[in-house]
Amino acid sequence: MAYLDLILFVTLLTLGYVVGQWLEKKHFRSIMEREERYRKLLTFNERFPPKGLKSVNVELVGGNVVISIDYFKRIAAGLRGLIGGRVTAYETLVERARREAILRMKESAHNKGASMIINVRLETASIAKGQKQQIGSVEVYAYGTAIIPG
Amino acid sequence: MSYQNPKIPEGINVTDEHPLKDFFSMLLGVGLLAALFFLALSFIAEKLVVYIPFETEVVLAERMTEGMSESPDEDSDPHQLRVESYLQTLADQLAITQQLPENMPITVHFVKSDTVNAHATLGGHIIIYSGLLEKMPDENTLAMVMAHEIAHIKNRDPIIALGRVLTVSLAMLSILGAGDSGFSDQLVSRIGQLTMLSFSRKQESLADELALETLTEHYGHTGGAETLFSIFEDEERITMPAFLRTHPVTESRLNNVKEFSAKQAVAQSHENRPIPDWVVEDCAPANETDVKETDEKKSAPEKIK
Repeated sequence: MAYLDLILFVTLLTLGYVVGQWLEKKHFRSIMEREERYRKLLTFNERFPPKGLKSVNVELVGGNVVISIDYFKRIAAGLRGLIGGRVTAYETLVERARREAILRMKESAHNKGASMIINVRLETASIAKGQKQQIGSVEVYAYGTAIIPG
Repeated sequence: MSYQNPKIPEGINVTDEHPLKDFFSMLLGVGLLAALFFLALSFIAEKLVVYIPFETEVVLAERMTEGMSESPDEDSDPHQLRVESYLQTLADQLAITQQLPENMPITVHFVKSDTVNAHATLGGHIIIYSGLLEKMPDENTLAMVMAHEIAHIKNRDPIIALGRVLTVSLAMLSILGAGDSGFSDQLVSRIGQLTMLSFSRKQESLADELALETLTEHYGHTGGAETLFSIFEDEERITMPAFLRTHPVTESRLNNVKEFSAKQAVAQSHENRPIPDWVVEDCAPANETDVKETDEKKSAPEKIK
């Protein structure tokens, strides 16, 4: 029975690594491509619009994303939790979530015909579920004020 | 002031280091540290656990075997009881020869099973399987098995093994439990099973040595010991490879017997005492289908082979 457990463990680990890495690479490619597409839509964390804007509409725009860890990342982070240091397994996860949330916000603003988004803020939350909270997800919500030239 | 969004270079928040490299270096580091820690811990546990009085061990054994007792029909089987009492008498004689302390009573259990094995567990209990008894050509060979098991009890090996397993598993639970992931549960169950491989080779060698001394004192010669290990050698050819066994490989045990006999300079021409005919008859496979799985999985078993 011990061998069966071990085989299951290694299989899940391998599966988590192969599939997780593939999805992550794919996601990063998509993020870079879309970031390039919406580069003209400027985003700032300034609270006030640049001076000299005349007759604009403003609207709240937001983008939200939840990304889950895979089995491999969980084990890697668990090991890291024993010795401490940079949890690289989670860093990529959070990076993806942050950029994806901003992109979704930009997409929404783009559809409204906005020229820029000001006062951009990010909110994060962690979602953990399952026995002993072994399945972790990160939520990032990006929101800001879209400036729509009227 | 001009507002612009320059392109942010990649790799600021994410390292280029391969995730597998990171993973395996961590695994190696943690593994080495954990191995050192648990070795030290089990060493301390083994040293301390012998201070638990034997009486406490007996109570502990009773609690562990509660609800695992043999079925009533086996208890009332007259053949079974006769064989058991024969084995008990032999064990008591050997216990006296081995100078087992007064407060360490030996209880022999005879279990009908094809398993060619015997083991000593907590509380001075020795389990002899009919599969083993059937293979015994004479009483001396059987006495070697018995003396080996009694030696384990005298050396407190069962409680040492239990102490090691319990300490290591508990430490694992508390350390990894703090890391709050299901990972801990998986590891604990796995390591727990590995350490369950009962006694160390050193414990086995010591038990062999003590058994040989007992045999010499009881019968005046070590006849039977060699026979026993040749029986095991035959059995081993159909069982698992050597690295899985905790017992010293039979060949080296056989050599130890020969060395011991030479050192003692006892006459090798000797006569082995036979096992009484009625015992042979009684343990004959009358109801061989009566094999009980639960009996084989009794707590912290010790394998002679």
